Amino acid sequence: MIHPRLAGPLRLAACVGIVALTWLVVLPRVGRLPPIARHVRAMEKAEVNPAAMVYTELERLPLRPDWAHEQIMLWP
Amino acid sequence: MPHDVTVSGRRGFHEDTAAIVVGGLLVALALAVGWNARPTENAGSRKAFPKGWPNPLAATIDKPQTWDDSPTQSLSDKKGKPVTVPILLGMAWVVGVLAGGTALRGRSVPSVLPGAAALALLGGLAYLLAAQKLVNHYNLEYPLWALLVGLLIGNTVGVPRWLAPALQGEFLIKAGLVVFGAEVLFSRLLELGLPGLLTSWVVTPLVLVATYWFGVYRMKIPSKSLCMVISADMSVCGVSAAIATGAACKAKKEELSLAIGLSLVFTVAMMVAMPPFIQWAGIDPIVGGAWLGGTIDATGAVVAAGEMLGKELDDKRPAEVAATVKMIQNSMIGIIAFAVAVYWAGWVETGSRGPRTSLAAEAWDRFPKFILGFVATSVVCSFLFTRSPENSLWVDGATLGFTSRLRGWLFCVGFVCMGIQTVFRELAPYLASGRPLLLYVLGQCLNLALSLAMASLTFGWLFRKVVER
Repeated sequence: MIHPRLAGPLRLAACVGIVALTWLVVLPRVGRLPPIARHVRAMEKAEVNPAAMVYTELERLPLRPDWAHEQIMLWP
Repeated sequence: MPHDVTVSGRRGFHEDTAAIVVGGLLVALALAVGWNARPTENAGSRKAFPKGWPNPLAATIDKPQTWDDSPTQSLSDKKGKPVTVPILLGMAWVVGVLAGGTALRGRSVPSVLPGAAALALLGGLAYLLAAQKLVNHYNLEYPLWALLVGLLIGNTVGVPRWLAPALQGEFLIKAGLVVFGAEVLFSRLLELGLPGLLTSWVVTPLVLVATYWFGVYRMKIPSKSLCMVISADMSVCGVSAAIATGAACKAKKEELSLAIGLSLVFTVAMMVAMPPFIQWAGIDPIVGGAWLGGTIDATGAVVAAGEMLGKELDDKRPAEVAATVKMIQNSMIGIIAFAVAVYWAGWVETGSRGPRTSLAAEAWDRFPKFILGFVATSVVCSFLFTRSPENSLWVDGATLGFTSRLRGWLFCVGFVCMGIQTVFRELAPYLASGRPLLLYVLGQCLNLALSLAMASLTFGWLFRKVVER
């Protein structure tokens, strides 16, 4: 029988254990699977930050393509 | 200025006012430091300064870097430069913001400091989880892990007494939004000219309103704020839109958590599935790029999907168009959050009106004032940005070097607070009914259909010749 005061910390310790196992063992192994490793390498080569929440977090700011200047001229 | 009277009897600013003051001062500080350190040569050259003028404050804040199999890899950047000190200073900024906000609200600052330091460390842990290479490359953003860290603590050991005064998640998110305003530049709305405007400005509001209406009046989802947050994060730009509109319509913590979870799961699926589908269906690469930008929620995932599409076709244009359409949507957040706040105060939260109170005064009372700070920083920075090439580099240096990183920390720790205060049991009814998931799926289907139709019309037909030239 677990003392009620220990139940919470024990639950937390179990969750921390699961998270640690997932992040330190499972995810690195999954990341080494050939199709996933290829995708990651391609993104790194293209300097993409796939985790960017908004454009200011991108490695490179999106630049206005040349043709867009002409488009703005069409706007009354 | 609205004031609150605290338990101790001291007068202090309202939470929204404190968020405006703190956020506004931080943006002003970033601009002032950037101006003081302006370069003497090539000050207006985008080639010399692709990310704007270097801002000295950039050295005072960073986050854990991408790591593969050992978390220690997160303490140095791609060039091998150690980032431990900037990470610790980033945490110190969060503690400073919490202390400043607490002081402005007339509360005891020393009672907040131990909890603020612990929350900043938990925010660092959430960033560390988000920085794992696989997690990072599949766009599972830090808010998800911040919520998870908070949920684990709140639902196992509960909230220790010393932590409680620092649990000011809403204040941190409001202050973060005011700081975020500096990144939401109206001039970016014109980046793709008329086709970009049509793709973003016609489809996005249409999908948002239709999804919200369908959720409230057809699916009869009892919480209007949940419908609004799901509609906004699905139609505008994912987590950042959910945060802004959630704060504007005063959504519950559980509702925001659910909307963010839905958005991130579908973002991963769409990022992986859409590029091969576009190729398989033989959709024009530029139209496909615009379609990706208009439909995938998160910016990083849009760029990744655009790159995947472009790589197969050996064409850079899909990624360019996708990223720019998404950037236009990013720039719409301020206007949409403002519109949602006005609609909520005027038409949704209609309480009993006193005999001498006008409808406008009542609506103003309910209006979330921090949105004005968000819009104000956006307007000021947009104005400065468009004044001259030098000024655009000044603003970019301040936002890319400092305010975007600070905003990330404020959101991250804000979500840790929200996670701690969220009870699993209260999430259960939302998950059990399945209706929010169905609303997201139906809304996204509408978004996919309308975005493809508009991208085909504008990028594929109306302005095709100019785009090809």
